[in-house]
Amino acid sequence: MALIEVDDLVKEYQLNVRHKGLLGSIRSLLIPEYTKKVAVDSISFSIEKGETVGFIGPNGAGKSTTVKMLTGILTPTSGTITVGGLSPYKDRKKNASRIGVVFGQRTQLWWDLPVADTFDLLKYIYKIPDNVFRENMELFSDILGLQEFMKQPVRQLSLGQKMRADIGAALLHNPEIIFFDEPTIGLDVVAKEQIREFVRTVNRERGTTMLFTTHDMLDIEKTCKRMIIIDHGKKIYDGTVEEIKDKYGRSRVLRVEFSEYIADVQLPGAEMIKEEGNKKWFEFQKDQTQVSRLINTLSQKYGIVDITVQEPEIEGVIREIYQGGIDLNETLSGVS
Amino acid sequence: MRNSGFLESLNVFYQYSKLSLKVMLEFKLDRSMITLAIFCREMIAVVVMLLILARFLHIRGWDMNQLFFLYSFLFISYSLFVFIFAGVRDFDQLVHSGEFDRYLIRPRGLLFQVVASKIDLPATLGHGVVGVILFMNTAFSVGITWNMQNILFYISVVVGGAVIQASIFMLTACMSFWAIRIENIRNLIFFNARRIAGYPISFYPAFIQKMLIFIVPFSFVNYFPAQFFIRKEDMNLFWDGFMYMTPVVGVVMFVVVSLFWRFGVRSYSSSGNALY
Ligand SMILES: Nc1ncnc2c1ncn2[C@@H]1O[C@H](COP(=O)(O)OP(=O)(O)OP(=O)(O)O)[C@@H](O)[C@H]1O
Ligand SMILES: [Mg+2]
Repeated sequence: MALIEVDDLVKEYQLNVRHKGLLGSIRSLLIPEYTKKVAVDSISFSIEKGETVGFIGPNGAGKSTTVKMLTGILTPTSGTITVGGLSPYKDRKKNASRIGVVFGQRTQLWWDLPVADTFDLLKYIYKIPDNVFRENMELFSDILGLQEFMKQPVRQLSLGQKMRADIGAALLHNPEIIFFDEPTIGLDVVAKEQIREFVRTVNRERGTTMLFTTHDMLDIEKTCKRMIIIDHGKKIYDGTVEEIKDKYGRSRVLRVEFSEYIADVQLPGAEMIKEEGNKKWFEFQKDQTQVSRLINTLSQKYGIVDITVQEPEIEGVIREIYQGGIDLNETLSGVS
Repeated sequence: MRNSGFLESLNVFYQYSKLSLKVMLEFKLDRSMITLAIFCREMIAVVVMLLILARFLHIRGWDMNQLFFLYSFLFISYSLFVFIFAGVRDFDQLVHSGEFDRYLIRPRGLLFQVVASKIDLPATLGHGVVGVILFMNTAFSVGITWNMQNILFYISVVVGGAVIQASIFMLTACMSFWAIRIENIRNLIFFNARRIAGYPISFYPAFIQKMLIFIVPFSFVNYFPAQFFIRKEDMNLFWDGFMYMTPVVGVVMFVVVSLFWRFGVRSYSSSGNALY
């Protein structure tokens, strides 16, 4: 059995219907009316030990709701979840000692105290043995650079420092599984990269299983082999990051630097999208136009200094999927 | 095994308290001012009562020392209650900020975490010092022999009184699980009931007596325990058994409210926090 098994998971929220005005509120109080909101709609997947999985989808898709059910905060409306053989909400405490959770939007550190104090407390809450605690503190200092601000009150830390400390706090008890809900939100490029590096290291060295929610595709590309996409509570893709790029990133960009300025370049099969001095960018569809032909045409007619082919960015692909431009069901094998 | 589990929990509780204390030391001046403010506020109430009572030798058979002895229970048990249950008192904030979700993903009991994570020393000290002052000035002049039995009974009623107040707060805390905020109504009822209970309940009309016995049972926090020690005539108005009931009322209320709490947690887990 896989480490995480999710089968036909459904979460419906009940929403109070509120009426306007005083009479309306009295009415809502006396005769409560509810509507249902299906946040997660029969999702199934399984995750093996040691996998890193990106869990993405547009705002309101149901990612956080799913993470909350996996961590035991919410009970499912129907369907089953097992995490390491346990039900997260029935065996809440047991499950809690084996998982780590990072909520990017909220810190678990004591606001007015140095980071070190929260870490000390967590040591007791999770019954972390001394040697494990020491090892982890060393590792976190090395890769996350925590020692720089360990003694500073949390309220004085920058967003990036706080996030690093929070990630450390969630990993202190050597959890088998870590859930990240938007761990890189609001961080700069360097801080993001540091966190990705840390995630990769922990996954590689400890075989920790990870589920990663984010809106930054680069996070996914750099840390996850597999990706699950959900939209409107439904799973629409489950497969490798590579596959989705291959199949849907059909357009390529050819960047050419000419030896002199050429006003009008004729290049059949490609379209000029940008121009800057002697440089020009051409977009073409890789399954319609061969790149070798384009290069041939160009080099025969003009003097060329430099030429590069740019891969599509997954960001663009995902954007198109969210906007409904790509229908994954029809074409992809990944969906199970 | 169970025992070592208990000691271990106690240690975690201690670790939490250490952090709470550290925060307090961080804001020494601020917290000292709050403590002083609470102390003064409560002391003013005491002084006002003193000025009113100074004109009389007795009121319906109660002399001043006895009245203040009765009053001291309110402060001492409230002090103990906030010392331990400040987290329960402020529980609504925990739920509405979404912080409670974090408690659900920790391998510890929920109530334990709520209780352990907050200590309100200013309120504890502010009320506690008033209580001790009143106690020291009255307890030895109202004819109580402080033998072992009486000391033990005193402790049990102070603890019982604290648990009764904790249960009232926990009951309203539970409403947060359904995203219902009633702290304002609760405070109105609680603190007015407490003010009324500052005088012997026999002074009041029957319906207020009933309310303080059966609905907001403050009579078990001070009136009946005080009657156990100083047995005034007006105790004839009530059933004798009430004098011994404080710990029982505390335990029963706490058990019932704990069941409600569990029910609330389950409901919370199925509805989620609409504010996050
Ligand atoms: N406690 C709640 N009560 C009612 N509806 C809720 C509740 N929490 C979430 N929802 C709704 O359920 C849907 C899924 O929300 P969820 O937070 O899981 O989305 P998400 O994928 O995490 O989005 P984002 O990327 O914006 O974080 C949304 O439509 C949201 O409005
Ligand atoms: Mg979310």
